[in-house]
Amino acid sequence: MINAVLVFNNNGQPRLTKFYTQLDTAVQQRLISEIFTLVSARPASSCNFLPLPPLLAPANTSASTAHNDAPSLVTYRHYATLYFIMISTSTESPLGLLDLIQVFVEALDRLFENVCELDLIFNFETLHAVLGEMIVGGVVVETGLETVVAGVKSQGRVAKRPVNEGRGGGLAQGIWAGR
Amino acid sequence: MFEKDIAQLIRGLRAHKGNEREYIQEALKECRKEVKGQDMDQKAAALLKLVYLEMFGHDMSWASFNVLEVMSSQKYLQKRVGYLAAVQSFRPDTEVLMLAENLLKKDLKSADKATMTLPLTTIPHVINPSMANSLLIDLLPRLAHSDPRIRKKTIVTLYRLALVYPETLRPAWPKIKDRLLDDNEDPSVTAAIINVICELGWRRPQDFLPLAPRLFELLTIGGNNWMAIKIIKLFSILIPLEPRLVKKLVPPLTTLIKTTPAMSLLYECINGIIQGGIMETAEGSSESDDIARLCVKKLRAMLVVEGDPNLRYVALLAFAKITTSHADLVSQHQDVILECIDDADISIRTRALDLVVGMVNANNIQTVVERLLRQLRTSGKATASDEPVNDRGIHDGIIPMADEDEHEAMTTIRPKEPKSTQAPPLPDDYRVSVIERILDMCSKDTYASMNDFEWYIGVLLELVKQCPTIMSTSNPGNAIGLELLNVAVRVKAVRLEATTAAQSLLMLDSRLQLFPASTSGGHGVLASAAFIAGEYADMLTDPDAILTSLLHSSSSALPPDVLASYLQTIPKIFVRLAGDQLATWDSSRQSYVILLTARIVHFLEPLTLHPNLEVQERAVEYLDLMRLASEAASNHQTGTESDVPLLLSQAIPTLFSGSELNPVAQAAIRKVPQPEELDIDTPINGDLNMILSQADYDTDYADDDNEVYRMYHEKPTAALAKSQRTAAELLEPRDNSRASSYQDASSGELDLEAVERKKIERRERYKDDPYYIDSDRLSGTSTPMHNILRSANGEELDVDAIPVMELNLDSRDTASDPERARIAKPARKPKRQFEIAADETLGADEPPASLPNQASKLSLARGKKSLLEVDSSGLSALSLAESTDSRNGGTALDYERRRAEEEEMAKAMKEVERLRLEMQRAQERIQPQDADEDGTVVRRKKKKKARVEALSDQPPPDDTVAADEATVKKKKKKKRQEDESQPKEEQSQDVIEDIAPIKTKRKKKRQVVFDEDDAAE
Repeated sequence: MINAVLVFNNNGQPRLTKFYTQLDTAVQQRLISEIFTLVSARPASSCNFLPLPPLLAPANTSASTAHNDAPSLVTYRHYATLYFIMISTSTESPLGLLDLIQVFVEALDRLFENVCELDLIFNFETLHAVLGEMIVGGVVVETGLETVVAGVKSQGRVAKRPVNEGRGGGLAQGIWAGR
Repeated sequence: MFEKDIAQLIRGLRAHKGNEREYIQEALKECRKEVKGQDMDQKAAALLKLVYLEMFGHDMSWASFNVLEVMSSQKYLQKRVGYLAAVQSFRPDTEVLMLAENLLKKDLKSADKATMTLPLTTIPHVINPSMANSLLIDLLPRLAHSDPRIRKKTIVTLYRLALVYPETLRPAWPKIKDRLLDDNEDPSVTAAIINVICELGWRRPQDFLPLAPRLFELLTIGGNNWMAIKIIKLFSILIPLEPRLVKKLVPPLTTLIKTTPAMSLLYECINGIIQGGIMETAEGSSESDDIARLCVKKLRAMLVVEGDPNLRYVALLAFAKITTSHADLVSQHQDVILECIDDADISIRTRALDLVVGMVNANNIQTVVERLLRQLRTSGKATASDEPVNDRGIHDGIIPMADEDEHEAMTTIRPKEPKSTQAPPLPDDYRVSVIERILDMCSKDTYASMNDFEWYIGVLLELVKQCPTIMSTSNPGNAIGLELLNVAVRVKAVRLEATTAAQSLLMLDSRLQLFPASTSGGHGVLASAAFIAGEYADMLTDPDAILTSLLHSSSSALPPDVLASYLQTIPKIFVRLAGDQLATWDSSRQSYVILLTARIVHFLEPLTLHPNLEVQERAVEYLDLMRLASEAASNHQTGTESDVPLLLSQAIPTLFSGSELNPVAQAAIRKVPQPEELDIDTPINGDLNMILSQADYDTDYADDDNEVYRMYHEKPTAALAKSQRTAAELLEPRDNSRASSYQDASSGELDLEAVERKKIERRERYKDDPYYIDSDRLSGTSTPMHNILRSANGEELDVDAIPVMELNLDSRDTASDPERARIAKPARKPKRQFEIAADETLGADEPPASLPNQASKLSLARGKKSLLEVDSSGLSALSLAESTDSRNGGTALDYERRRAEEEEMAKAMKEVERLRLEMQRAQERIQPQDADEDGTVVRRKKKKKARVEALSDQPPPDDTVAADEATVKKKKKKKRQEDESQPKEEQSQDVIEDIAPIKTKRKKKRQVVFDEDDAAE
């Protein structure tokens, strides 16, 4: 199952945090910063799987074998200014998770039309809603782009980013920029 | 009042670059006020802001009650905010959770699908066992909802329910199974069910075997790669239980591998084949060879494919899984795998490293190790600034907000890239793990794949140089040192080389070169090197130089464990240099020895005050020994005729010589048989308490019969007759003229016979007392172990007579007989030209895991949950297979019973409420004058109702409620009468609706008071 979904930008500022287990706020922050430290040090050419951050590393390596409940996989994707991270157990497929992140981002793009970080900052509720259509309680419930978008739209109008925001281009640049 | 919505908050944050902290504190203060206000819109907006700030680490657990209020809002958008806040901020210790239960139940029954979805997606985050029990009833009907979106979310929610409350599956599983078997079910619901089963599957695979036909059908229909991946994962769990599945699965999987355009599915097919053990179960048949070859071919292709590091990564993962069974198959692809060791990406490198360890054999070990060594050599050691930890001040926590300029952000990250692709400095932990892997590979199965130990010693020396400079938690130096020691002890043929290697490590000039920093991680190797140099001092080519290095003043600054080892080595080398028996004792030799002792004394003296106890003790002991030696040397007459002083030629050498040190198996000591007559339980002296109490008062020691007195006050008199002399004593080189003379000395004109008799008596008495030191025996043999062994074996066999105990691990038949095993000739495994001594042990070899401390550590690790882990161990106790048929009735019964219980409970609550009201009324009648108290009671009830109304028929604007309240206040007395006449049902119904929120009552009352104030204004 998926244990956590995180989105943060190039500076480590979180844009979405979703933990499928109840975790202390302080611990959440530590985990985010650990993962950010790992992920930000990686060149663009490296693969999209991270070693387990110190907080998640099994205490005893010999005991961790065949222990499927513990998270064992940290998958990430980098889009323009944002990192999308999924922490999961061994029951998820690593390549499948990469595709799942892609679906997530594509769904956001459909909802916001050329989505950028600003959209996600100002509409983080929608971000949660999209995720809620795809993953419930750590289990993937929907992978179809259309269904996800329709599900979110059925909950109400999706607001656009404020018009005057995003001057200077930086953040308003589409999330697909540079890909 | 100034208030802002979430967008304004974010904009404000972006505008306050530099002083976000103050801004956030201000915003939190505002939110605190707003969230407690009455305006629901404002409350929700404030809550959303809090949720946003929570993302940055600002705790909002204090607002949990307000979260609950917003959750109960009638407006969907507000409700959504409330539910989101609950998901994000509720923790296991959140107290209001039990109050949320009724709300969740209510919303689950909502007619609005969007509203119904909210509790469905929230429950997984907040569920606890008691809540699961009561929510189950409301969740089950949702499985049959017309909207597939609701159905699939319900299924997942039920799964999370089952994790905390396994009983959930009894009623839920049959329904979920029906959904799965239904061909007309929405495909996305089917996929969700497969996902859930995949999670459940590995806990209780046997329960899901009956589903195999349906799963197979879904797999062959195809169309949904996501689902196919999960089905294959499921099958890989089921195959070990049902080998017949292999035949059925191979054709579709082969087709999929050959035809699918989706890389993820292709990979999972291969992975499933590996994990399910298809390659093993079908071994021998041409079909399995085909599929194994196909898999490996595809994996190889994934490794060499250009530009996709992800495929390389997962291919290495898959390869690593094959190594356990098909190491040879993997090592055929050594070329591409070794390429990955030099990959720029550390994740891929680490995987490749893992894989390589499993892959090595006698033929490729040198290639692999050389390759790793080259990597260590060529990539410079990481400097402190390269450490990601020091790189950015990220561990100070996330500095809240204000988006920095995008281009700035780019510049901080980009410069790292060229550096890491050009000459990637290896991070220390990676460096350490490479070193550890090399050691693991080489020493695997007691050097099974090692056929050139001279080369290996060279590798070890090289590794010492490659130890990271920064002291990390794990110290590879120790491990390298232990390996060197291991080789020196086990492989006699290269002992000379190992000693030379140790010597080169210990030399002062090389030490400065190898370990420039005083904190170098390689220092650990010195302890073992010193031990080797001391133990095999005869093989040292230049003992003088070594001693000089050891005695150098800089040695005192070494870590205590190294220093302790040094201290033990110094006298051993001293013996080598000074203890030569044959050389003549002339004046030059005398002065040489005196000089040596003087240098050693000079080195040891300051160490007697060393803070480390071990170092201190050894320093003190050897200091005195050296002083004695010095004295002996200077007092001994020189000349061509005279011998070397006995202390130098005999006494001190015997401290360090004796039987050779051999490797002993970890569990050997526990297998020493316990003699039958050894009784540890009976007290040595039954009257101990009495004696002790007597000793308190008794100051008269005249009583000679007193055992205790005798034990403590009578000097043990030595015996002349050696009636019990052990064979070992006879065998030992008779240099104990000294020792025997000590014994003889005490024998005076005492009545020898009486003394002897007494001694025998005493020996009989204390023979099993491990703490009793028998003056008869030499100290070396007076250990209880010796005693025990002797009494167990009888007199004809004396353990000490057996010069060296060496056992063969492989000879299990002889091992069953401990006695024969102990005598067994040292059997060695011939390995090329090298003999590798195996561990010595008694009896059959036991897995070291059975050691109690390891076992406890293991269980400890099990007990400690990983941070994000959702424990599903509860599920393993519940059998689903049983519940499908025979228990079906029971299930229904269970379910029915629970429902009946709930009804009964509701009835009981009604009854309680009725009685309470009656009592209240009775009280009113008795004390009509105490209006105030009554008023409170009545008002509370009334208020609550008003509140519920306010919550339930939202649009009613607050002012009407307030007005309502106002009227309540005005017509208090009238109300009381009304109350009395009010129909009971309505009241009790009211109460039932809020069974749980007993605690809320007070809060709500307070709010109502606010209402009144508002109204008063």
